[in-house]
Amino acid sequence: MVEHVKPIQPTWCPGCGDFGVMAAVKKGLLELKIPSEDLVLVGGIGCSGGIHNFMDGYGFHALHGRLLPTAIGVKLANPRLTVLAIGGDGDGYAIGMGHFVHSLKKNASIVYVVMNNETYGLTKGQASPTSLVGFEGNVEPPIDAVLTALSVAGSGFIARGFSGSPKEATNLITQALRYTQERNGFAFVEILSPCVTYNDTYDLWRSKVQDVGKLPGYDKSDRGKAFATCLEVMQQGKIPIGEIYMPPPEKRFRSLDASLIPDPTKGPATLDISVSANAEKYAKMLANLE
Amino acid sequence: MSVESTSNPRTPQVLKDISVLTGGQGGDGTLTVSDLLARYFHSQGLYVYNSRAVLSRIRGGYAAASSRGCTSPILAQKAEQDVIVAFHQDAVTFGAKSLSADGFILGDDKVVTTPDAKNLILLPLSITAASKIGQPLYKNVVAFGALSVLMGMDRTAARGVVERRFGRRGEEARTKNLNAFDLGVELAEQNVGHTARFSLEHGTASNQVLITGNQAAAYGFVVGGGRFFAGYPITPATSIMETLMKILPPYKGVVRQAEDELSAINMTLGGAYAGARAMTATSGPGFSLMTEALGHAGEAEIPVVIADCQRVGPSTGEPTRNEQSDLLHSVFASHGEFPRFVIAPGFPQDAFDLMIASLNLAERWQLPIIFLLDQALGENLQSAPRMTLEHATVDRGKLLTEEALNAMTAYKRYEFTKDGISPRTIPGMKGGQSQVTGNEHDEWGHVSVNVENRKQMMAKRMTRLRLAKSELPQPLLWGDEKARVGFIGFGCTFGPIREAQQMLKAKGITSRFYQARTLWPVPVETLAPFLSSVDVVFVVEHNYMGQFAMLIREYVSSPNIESIVKYDGSSFVGQEIAYHVEQTMKAHTSYGPGKTPIVLHESEGGGF
Repeated sequence: MVEHVKPIQPTWCPGCGDFGVMAAVKKGLLELKIPSEDLVLVGGIGCSGGIHNFMDGYGFHALHGRLLPTAIGVKLANPRLTVLAIGGDGDGYAIGMGHFVHSLKKNASIVYVVMNNETYGLTKGQASPTSLVGFEGNVEPPIDAVLTALSVAGSGFIARGFSGSPKEATNLITQALRYTQERNGFAFVEILSPCVTYNDTYDLWRSKVQDVGKLPGYDKSDRGKAFATCLEVMQQGKIPIGEIYMPPPEKRFRSLDASLIPDPTKGPATLDISVSANAEKYAKMLANLE
Repeated sequence: MSVESTSNPRTPQVLKDISVLTGGQGGDGTLTVSDLLARYFHSQGLYVYNSRAVLSRIRGGYAAASSRGCTSPILAQKAEQDVIVAFHQDAVTFGAKSLSADGFILGDDKVVTTPDAKNLILLPLSITAASKIGQPLYKNVVAFGALSVLMGMDRTAARGVVERRFGRRGEEARTKNLNAFDLGVELAEQNVGHTARFSLEHGTASNQVLITGNQAAAYGFVVGGGRFFAGYPITPATSIMETLMKILPPYKGVVRQAEDELSAINMTLGGAYAGARAMTATSGPGFSLMTEALGHAGEAEIPVVIADCQRVGPSTGEPTRNEQSDLLHSVFASHGEFPRFVIAPGFPQDAFDLMIASLNLAERWQLPIIFLLDQALGENLQSAPRMTLEHATVDRGKLLTEEALNAMTAYKRYEFTKDGISPRTIPGMKGGQSQVTGNEHDEWGHVSVNVENRKQMMAKRMTRLRLAKSELPQPLLWGDEKARVGFIGFGCTFGPIREAQQMLKAKGITSRFYQARTLWPVPVETLAPFLSSVDVVFVVEHNYMGQFAMLIREYVSSPNIESIVKYDGSSFVGQEIAYHVEQTMKAHTSYGPGKTPIVLHESEGGGF
């Protein structure tokens, strides 16, 4: 066995919510028996974005806000791979917001995990796109990524977990992984992940989270009702979590990777591109030029 | 205009080199006429050079395109027009100045307000199209039909061109356009008579294709093993993506239109990292957006090709016009220091060959390559020898096979090596797991701020600029080996410089042309001997500062560099370069640095 790069100790502060998220990701990967050589972890910039360094697999540290296009590029080059893009709320909903919305639209079979701590931890506690009014002088109401995702017609699996509830978080990530393994498309999981240094919200969030699945009559296959329920829960001062939306097969759009590359073992990265293997076709193509 | 002497004055003159300018309002299909003419010339064995953004005297939002056909190979547009097709008054007013002595203007009587203009033939082009076919837009094909009479074309061949071009769009398009062509023939015969103003000599060009630089680059991408492309539409680079959308899917390649250039380049990096040969293509504004990711490719050592088809800048500039002002930007773009190659083809065949070479070099040296095109080379349709697989190879460098990987005891993505290139794995290979990052890192890919590591990593990356030199595309030298007058240029200036050389030679001035194909790292090894082999060198380029001349002066000490620049959006023509070289040669007895560059504008040069 070839010796390869070993995971290093996380650089997160003790007690950081990101530990819980990483544990959930690891358990999900284990549950689905995904070998580390088939795993590509694309990290963003920020505390959470270092996660690829702390796990075994192929790690790619992307530019700030650009982890989703990078991860989709990987997936479209080789759809056989399991691709996880993992970043924070600053990376995903500020500089990367355009890519977030378009990734929901593109619907490639990758898992996007956002560790939302409602602050910029790495640059020492500034307001993030999800910070509440009043936090560090913030006067702009926050963006809710779940509502945003629900409003994009092509979106698929949408969930929100809480790193203080590790069992549930693991379940959501496992489901997201399974959804993408089956080539259903884009799976978005936001995990509330408190920053113990700049925005310690463990107790607050524990008191505010509301698992929508436990509400009577909640139907995760109904986009409109899911949106209305989440909004209602938020208006009651709570945070909706759980399996927010899981489109039933008949409501799913075909994933981008399945549309473009029906056979996942024949992605662009794994083709024989030698001239000799393609010479006949090339010659015909050039001969057809007028 | 080359004219064969004719004994009978009533016999139409036979032209060997003809240029037709079509001017109209943007969006009214002016390019259609040029395209039909190009295909007709092509069918008659003539060499073709079409220009989409011609040196028109047609101002404002008016579109003009020229189509030139010639019995001998041509490389650029020419200064003089033999025919002007006017769908707008400005084509008459301004275009007339470039009309040859025996030329004529075919004008649409609905828009031309100076019916008494010299050499003007007015026909109801759009009115006929509207009344007989139902849409005024068919005036383009009506005009082509009329031209077939006035220019003495082979009627069957001309009609065949229309049929082939529109037949693909269905029966209705075919019938309507053929009808339009016939109406044009009828109009000309009824109003002007059956005698052509002149006719075209039949050419002997064989095995030529009609192609643009962008298209040739796209074909090179496919043959070079490119299988992943992500881009965002931008003039004048879009036709690279459009061509790939047509030709790459049969090879199971992926072509994606991203939501913006940031996404396009980062998707491309993802694809390249995963092991696909990958490229994105853009123009200046998009390239500016991509610069952060360019540095990421440099630091993370991701092989990628970024094609920049330049246009007039900065900012939105002039999207449809020609410039080469991104040169220094492409050499220095992005923060920090990292190795990159800047490679520039000069003609379509060159774009095909150098794209294949660029894909190989990117993977061999694991770095980003900027493939520098420009509007004129990228978009102008021209004759080129049919491309072949003769020199096509795929060299993936130190990309490990599973077997080679298994034979190793340890795999480090950024292992220090003598040539600065580390063996590379792609995701899916067992034991090849790695950390690829834009952070400074150690050999394993772990983040590092260790000073010794930093020094070694910088050396590892930067040394490739020096070591790769012998593998980079070499310049092509054109003209007389013993000449004392030199030219240096890259990209679209290739054609005009070659034509200027021929014109100067006719006047007894022989010259030698160094066509640069690698622009960065500066090819000192070939530039220095070239500069010292001649008395004076004219560096011809489309920008204000004389960027390539600046770059050359920085690396090669030579007092003999003269800068010829043009930055008004129009492309050089051979005549104006030849004229100014001749004038300079007359005016100067010695050459020195720091002289004012020769600035050409479209109204200048060569007595036109």
